[in-house]
Amino acid sequence: MLETLPAAGRIAPPPRRRLAVAAPCVVAGLAAMALWIAPAVLDTFAVNVLTRSMIYAVLAVTVDLLWGFAGILTFGQAAFFGVGAYATAMILTALGATPAGFAAALATAIAAPALLGLVVGWLSFYHRSTPLYASVISLVVPIVVVQLIYAGGESTGSSSGLVGFDVLPLEIAGYFRLAALVLVLVTLVAWILVRSDAGRALVALRDNEARCAYLGLNPRRLQILLTAALAAVAGLAGFLFANASGVVAPENAGFLFGTELVIWVALGGRGTLLGPVLGTIAIDYLAANLSGDLPFLWQLLLGTAFVIIIILLPGGLADLVGRLWRVLPIGRRTRAAPHLVARVAAPEAAGTGVPILKVENLAKAYGALTVLEGIDLEIRAGELVSLVGPNGAGKTTLMRCLSDGTEPFTGAVAIGGTAITGLTPNRIVGLGVGRKFQVASVFESLSVADCLRLARAPHDGLSPVGQAETLGLPQAALDVLRMTGLDHLLTPPTRLLSHGQKQALELAMVVALEPRLILLDEPTAGLTKAERTTIGTVLKALTTGRGIAAVLVEHDLDFVREISSRIVVLHQGRLVLDGTVEAVVGSELVRTIYSGGAHG
Amino acid sequence: MVKWSLLGATTLALGATTLALAATAAQAADSKPIVIGIPIGLSGANSVVAPSVVQSAELAVEEINAKGGVLGRKLALEVADDASGAAGAQKAFDSLIYQKKVDVLISMETSAARNAGLPAVTKGKVPYIYTSFYEGHSCNKNMFVDAWVPEQQVPPVVDAFKAKGAKTYFLIGSDYAFGRGMLGFTKSYVEKTGGKVLGEEYLPMDGSDWTAIISKLKEAKPDALITSTAGGAPNVTLTKQLRGAGVALPFANLALDEGTAKSMGADADGVYLSASYVTGIDSPENKTFLAAMQKKFGAELRTPNDLSVPEYEAIYLYKAAVEKAGGTETAKVLEALPTVSVTGPRGTIRMNKQHHAPLTMYLGQIQKDGTVKVAGTFKDVDPGEQCPKLQ
Amino acid sequence: MLLTLDILTTAAILFIVSIGLLAIFGVLKIINFAHGAWLTVGAYCAVVTAKLGLNPWAALPLAFVVGAALGGLAEHFIIRPLYRRPLDAILATWGLGIVVGQLVTLAFGRDVQMTPNLFAGTIAILGVEYSAYRLVALGIALAIGLLFALTIERTRLGLSARAVIMNETLARSLGIDTGRVRLVVFMIGAGLAALAGVLLTPLTSVDPNMGVSWLIGAFMLVMVADASYLALAAACLVFGAAQVLISTFVSPILGSIAIAVLAALVLRISPKGFSRA
Repeated sequence: MLETLPAAGRIAPPPRRRLAVAAPCVVAGLAAMALWIAPAVLDTFAVNVLTRSMIYAVLAVTVDLLWGFAGILTFGQAAFFGVGAYATAMILTALGATPAGFAAALATAIAAPALLGLVVGWLSFYHRSTPLYASVISLVVPIVVVQLIYAGGESTGSSSGLVGFDVLPLEIAGYFRLAALVLVLVTLVAWILVRSDAGRALVALRDNEARCAYLGLNPRRLQILLTAALAAVAGLAGFLFANASGVVAPENAGFLFGTELVIWVALGGRGTLLGPVLGTIAIDYLAANLSGDLPFLWQLLLGTAFVIIIILLPGGLADLVGRLWRVLPIGRRTRAAPHLVARVAAPEAAGTGVPILKVENLAKAYGALTVLEGIDLEIRAGELVSLVGPNGAGKTTLMRCLSDGTEPFTGAVAIGGTAITGLTPNRIVGLGVGRKFQVASVFESLSVADCLRLARAPHDGLSPVGQAETLGLPQAALDVLRMTGLDHLLTPPTRLLSHGQKQALELAMVVALEPRLILLDEPTAGLTKAERTTIGTVLKALTTGRGIAAVLVEHDLDFVREISSRIVVLHQGRLVLDGTVEAVVGSELVRTIYSGGAHG
Repeated sequence: MVKWSLLGATTLALGATTLALAATAAQAADSKPIVIGIPIGLSGANSVVAPSVVQSAELAVEEINAKGGVLGRKLALEVADDASGAAGAQKAFDSLIYQKKVDVLISMETSAARNAGLPAVTKGKVPYIYTSFYEGHSCNKNMFVDAWVPEQQVPPVVDAFKAKGAKTYFLIGSDYAFGRGMLGFTKSYVEKTGGKVLGEEYLPMDGSDWTAIISKLKEAKPDALITSTAGGAPNVTLTKQLRGAGVALPFANLALDEGTAKSMGADADGVYLSASYVTGIDSPENKTFLAAMQKKFGAELRTPNDLSVPEYEAIYLYKAAVEKAGGTETAKVLEALPTVSVTGPRGTIRMNKQHHAPLTMYLGQIQKDGTVKVAGTFKDVDPGEQCPKLQ
Repeated sequence: MLLTLDILTTAAILFIVSIGLLAIFGVLKIINFAHGAWLTVGAYCAVVTAKLGLNPWAALPLAFVVGAALGGLAEHFIIRPLYRRPLDAILATWGLGIVVGQLVTLAFGRDVQMTPNLFAGTIAILGVEYSAYRLVALGIALAIGLLFALTIERTRLGLSARAVIMNETLARSLGIDTGRVRLVVFMIGAGLAALAGVLLTPLTSVDPNMGVSWLIGAFMLVMVADASYLALAAACLVFGAAQVLISTFVSPILGSIAIAVLAALVLRISPKGFSRA
């Protein structure tokens, strides 16, 4: 039953794909080998300093994943690092250099920060939390952790830190190799992750958290899990640090160290992984060599460079190198487009008699201003209901109330018999609601294919290691793509698309969710006549053919007349008419409203 | 111009041996200088006091080199910034030990920085003379300390207050190892000598609002107040707020030095401090030392203090130990260090088997003009049991 | 009684320290991480005033002018290019804070500076001897609050600022020069921060890092207040009281992190903070 669309039949040979996954592994292997030999060549000082720099670079990778990819600016990685380091030092002080001691230290150094990460994640991310709030929390965490360390007395060594505990029986070169191995591995895993389909979800979170939620992804859970997972990695780095340096101090957990990590990542180039790794190692090594020569000037130079980079070169030095690189006439590969494959939608459960959407006495007010009042509405499978009314009638507000149960409203909204009050958008998507926004809401830095794949994530999942070679979409979504020509534009980032193409893409994404109820806020705004016809055809096919219900906010009455099975008129927050196309379009009331309303 | 002499009896007694050894050493020892590493907080919290420490080290080296050096070799200094913290100290110690390949480390540092450097000292097998007063009980076979610990600093203060009739005390400090260590010892000493501690309160090091603690102090109505904050900013902040609240109790500040007292202005008037060095020590060695500092640094001079003078003396202690050991070999120097002594601005200093030094302590009181009046001298106060395991 | 005075004066000092940050947060929607640097600059204005032999109170206008002028430069060269990248603006202001701190260090040294006392001694009030300056600070906080309220409610600038706070796009479409409003507000915010720096000198050590210890508390208060000066006053009272009470009855160490932790929890539970109340 799978049908491959010839239009999308861009053949991407599988061997090259395997190479794309294999290449980083080979590079990582070479890097690991080079670093394995390095201690034989370098002097003790360099080996010692670079060991620490590489451990810090592991932290830089975690900061880059959080900030550069997922858009969470964090100063808190230092706290997780410190917790890992202190857990190690405290356990090794108590248990000594026994296998059980090391095992317990390693386990705690990973588990304790992960748990703390969960708590911090819970504090930082909730429905409608702001990125700024998350950043400020990430600033509070290290402060609290350091205060606890100070107050810890003998057990934490207070301000003096802990020293003299037993460590792994390795020589200086051994620690260097261990740190190098961990750094290469962490970087490699991060590299594979961000280039995988799951990695796209991180970028999607950064680009457009709301769209993620309206694709049924739970942004909160993703952010919390990411925070906890990377806290665990930071804890592992802390374990390494405590062993390699033989000492832990409060400043290892402090927010100043946290800001330093951000500075290194920014200078190296956020969102590039290699930039932060190399930036951290270079800056830390340089600092070690310059210590004593220009203590105050060093900070001044670093601070100035940081401000300038942030303003003029947000991509950091990696961006600069990248630009130079691109000038060179060396062939660059673009991501190959996946094969588009039609996916047969699960058969719709036969009508149970329960309306898909049931709204009872819905009302909403902003302060003293009543926006919606006494709305009653029922929509059943296969209906295409157009919502019309002048600007300010409350159409978009109504759409919002139907798709976000956390909007403060009174009355009841039920999707397929389930009340949505208090449910976040992603849960409502789970009930079978797809929403297309008035202003096209897509992921600006992702490709068209990636956007569509994210829309399929609730159904098909996302690979955390690679890029799937096929992209299975419901026929209706394929139709949208084909009719708008997007099937030939799967690889460029969506920010390069035209306004109409973005609208079409968003529609395709919503359709790809296979919703039972689809909410469309002016899907044809800014589209050409031909594109409108296309969308009309798709909608008709969806509703009459597949039994989906649709609510359409639309100004274009001709379009409405063509495709609607029912029309609802909203005026000054009240539902004033609800009937067949003929009844509504012919009514006196609509003519009055529209002649006063002044638009079409 | 060097008018200051080594009077160490041991050194003199062993002079003959030294000479004999010097002959063999001279063959091995090339003209390469003996390098002294100074990891110190040129930036960060210690940057206020660090220049004075470096200055006194420079004077010691200049004096020794002018007299022909040590075993015929010149002394040289390598200074590295530790940013007053653990991470910086790791870099500074690594740089000095592995890159500059120093023969010895002699410096004052925060406890965190000292601890952070100790693993490198052990691995790199260099002797380390720690020249900062601290909370005590830091033990490492490579490390010696020629500055005071609570056992030496606190008794003069408490004894003086007791003599004035104080029975009840209130203790305020910064929440860190030194603050807690000092006040913890103070509390036990007060109780041992029959006094009573009415309250012991701490604020985090970067805390800036002492209001609640000061109100508690006022309600407790003690006879005397003893504070031990972090140096510099917290000390000034607490003193300003104490004075602002009208606290006029007998007040001893265990973290106060002469320089900080000056920046407090009138707020420091009448405050007691306890130190192993104050500029007003009336001894020929101190006067000579001050004159030499003044001559060498002139307008650039940073007032010598309880952190810079131990550095100066520690370099002479190291010189004596190297001469006794007949070279800079670490094991021999470490063996020699507890057997030599020098007489410097603070008097005769000899470190003991537990790697700490009995010291003469001075009780001082800040005057209106910011100078310190010596109100009492306590000869050779013992550091007590610091590192019994090292013996 | 002592407790009541402690709470009131602590709240007053918190208000003085955070009002400049609030102005900037409200209009520009960014947390100015260089706030601590401006406090420091203000305090050093007091040092300079003393060195010039002027009346210590002359430091107040001087600090406001210096702070506002530097604020204008910072807004123009650093904040404006980052208008659409608010998180980057935070980072850039943090970097700016480092730079200013180092410049102050290079100019004045790392040492603690001596400043003249603005108002020494104690006053007997309601049966207790209380720090005169803290009471003066309470009065100053009220005066600053009142002036701020008048500016917001009664002037053209205040009207524009309120419009920008509510809806910047709409404000622009109404012909308000929002760029100018942002500049002026940033200057005022920076000026107020510098002013606060002078007012802190009798209470705290003056050194290049002095601002940092006040930063986090101010951030949290402003986040909770969410662009409303009345909410800020309420937040200062509530969290100031929490700090004093926890310090007095539990532990000063917990007290000193009380504001940050409680404010974080309040925001987690009620994301709009105090501004709704």
